[in-house]
Amino acid sequence: MGLKRFVLRRLVEIAVIFFVIMTVLFVLFRLAPGDPVSRMVDPSMTPEDARLLMESMGLDQPLWTQYLYYLKNVATGNMGVSFHYGEPVIDILMNRLPNTVLLFTTSILLSALLGVFLGKIAAWKRGQRTDTLLTIGALFCHTLFLPWLALIMIWFFAYRVGWFPITGMVSPDVWIDPGAGWLAKALDVLHHMALPLMTLILIHFGSYLLVMRSSMLDTLKDDYIITARAKGLEEKTIRDHHAAPNAALPVVTSVGLSLAFSINGGALTETVFTWPGIGRELVFSVSHSDYPLAQAAFLIIAIVVLVANLVVDVLYAYLDPRIRY
Amino acid sequence: MTDANLPSPKTGTTPGMAAGRALPHWVDRFLGGWRVYRKNTIGRIGMALLVLFALMATTSFIPQWVDPMYHPMTGVDPQISYSTGPSLRHWLGTDFIGRDIFSQLLAGARIAFMVGISSALISILFGTTIGMVAGYAGKHTDLILMRLADMIMVMPTLLVVLLLSALFGQLNIWIIVLMIALFRWPGVARVIRSQTLSLRHRPFIEAARVAGASHLRIIFRHILPNVMPLALLYMTFRVTSAIIIEAALAFLGFGDPGTVSWGMMLQWVWKTGHMFQAPYWMLPPGICISLITMAFYMTGRAMDDVLDPRLREEETTP
Repeated sequence: MGLKRFVLRRLVEIAVIFFVIMTVLFVLFRLAPGDPVSRMVDPSMTPEDARLLMESMGLDQPLWTQYLYYLKNVATGNMGVSFHYGEPVIDILMNRLPNTVLLFTTSILLSALLGVFLGKIAAWKRGQRTDTLLTIGALFCHTLFLPWLALIMIWFFAYRVGWFPITGMVSPDVWIDPGAGWLAKALDVLHHMALPLMTLILIHFGSYLLVMRSSMLDTLKDDYIITARAKGLEEKTIRDHHAAPNAALPVVTSVGLSLAFSINGGALTETVFTWPGIGRELVFSVSHSDYPLAQAAFLIIAIVVLVANLVVDVLYAYLDPRIRY
Repeated sequence: MTDANLPSPKTGTTPGMAAGRALPHWVDRFLGGWRVYRKNTIGRIGMALLVLFALMATTSFIPQWVDPMYHPMTGVDPQISYSTGPSLRHWLGTDFIGRDIFSQLLAGARIAFMVGISSALISILFGTTIGMVAGYAGKHTDLILMRLADMIMVMPTLLVVLLLSALFGQLNIWIIVLMIALFRWPGVARVIRSQTLSLRHRPFIEAARVAGASHLRIIFRHILPNVMPLALLYMTFRVTSAIIIEAALAFLGFGDPGTVSWGMMLQWVWKTGHMFQAPYWMLPPGICISLITMAFYMTGRAMDDVLDPRLREEETTP
């Protein structure tokens, strides 16, 4: 089976999983104590608006029809109006999605790269002091409690030293200033992103380092490495060009396995740093009983996780030509 | 190891035969494992930390006996109504309404153990049973159960529990424990399933089947003892993830308001805006959560070496 068919099959699987998640969510929203209508329609709306909204979501229909309406509405992106913002939730969340994707992908990529790089060195210097230090450091960082680390980072780097802004994603004065070019704006976002990014990388790189280290140790025992040595290749060439690329494959798998973990961490980081992303919006909506927003945010996060899973799988199949599905 | 009494691979089928001697077979196996474990530095550090935390949890009742103002939840120092730094009267200072931070820290250890261990036990129970059934039954049962596991595995547990607490209101600590367990079994089930697959066609299982043992009997009497060590190993990882999820949940303000957990303490620091002024309040709970996570993780890694050097640990994901 070729790569194309594999991707197609995975897409179908993802669609099925998403469908199940959607259905479970629908059932949960109807099962929860209280009035389901009041959960989708803002109690403070005028009666006319409320009636219009109810009709568009089919809330006055029998349950089965409501379900069909719900499927149609999810497909067309009509997921209700946020109680708090008073805007369609889909607009709010589509506005937040790029911020989440930006933070999420950069943090995963950078921590995987750092983990691979340091894991390679640790395995190469096996048993020496570098190895011990790196392994213990990785173990230590990996088990830090994320929100606490985030608070410490803010306390130290933003409050005590003052190198980075305390919260948020942009400084309004830069963005209001008509003279500011795109570079100034990009730098401003980077400046705000530094702390959350550092927090996420510190938490995540440890497990990748440990995976890379053990996989590299296995690879170094392989025959082709002995062959490379026998050819008289330089040690560095063997390490970087012969052993490391193969050893890095399990790291890709491990990234896939820890995706749900990364999403959890992302939501916590966004909340502490008030980074305007989907995760923070979910936490916010839950604490303010903004049900339409919570439901839509959860569905979008589910899509992000599923798509990220697919990307990792495809990447793996692409990187390892031995894998044929 | 007593070599005269070689442990047979078919644990459980002949417990009575070995019992005539000094020790039951499983005690012997456990002691052998402990001997290997003891040599592992990481395992020793982890175990020492766990003992320390267990001590904290067991002594957590003492402060409130000494003086009711040391009660972690309701005890307020009558002379203090704001957060103060460490003193002789309050070793780690007080929180924003004058409660003793040290006694809260001790109470937090109790909650962490309670949440971690009970949640891990439940998820191991589910995971092991489902994994064994899937691996043993094969075919459609296997396919359906594993697809279900895949589906649950991709869901971020913290956010799922968060959403449920939005729908069902403030969650009780035991409901939180149960929810975490219900979403954390798939990883265990996968591992147990593959172990069961490798056991399924071993001679002693075939023999049991020929002897007329029922499926249930084969699963629980013959397969279970053989996957037990692996399940135990995964339990340590589940304990960590349960503690982290509960702490994160409490930190976000969705914990059980009737309990004082470390996550709850961090939430109070954060929400009352003391994170810049009160490092004596912010540091201890975070250090404790991180250390207990590390302790269980280290114990797990060391157990991993004892059980099978080829097995590598899974993530410690929440």
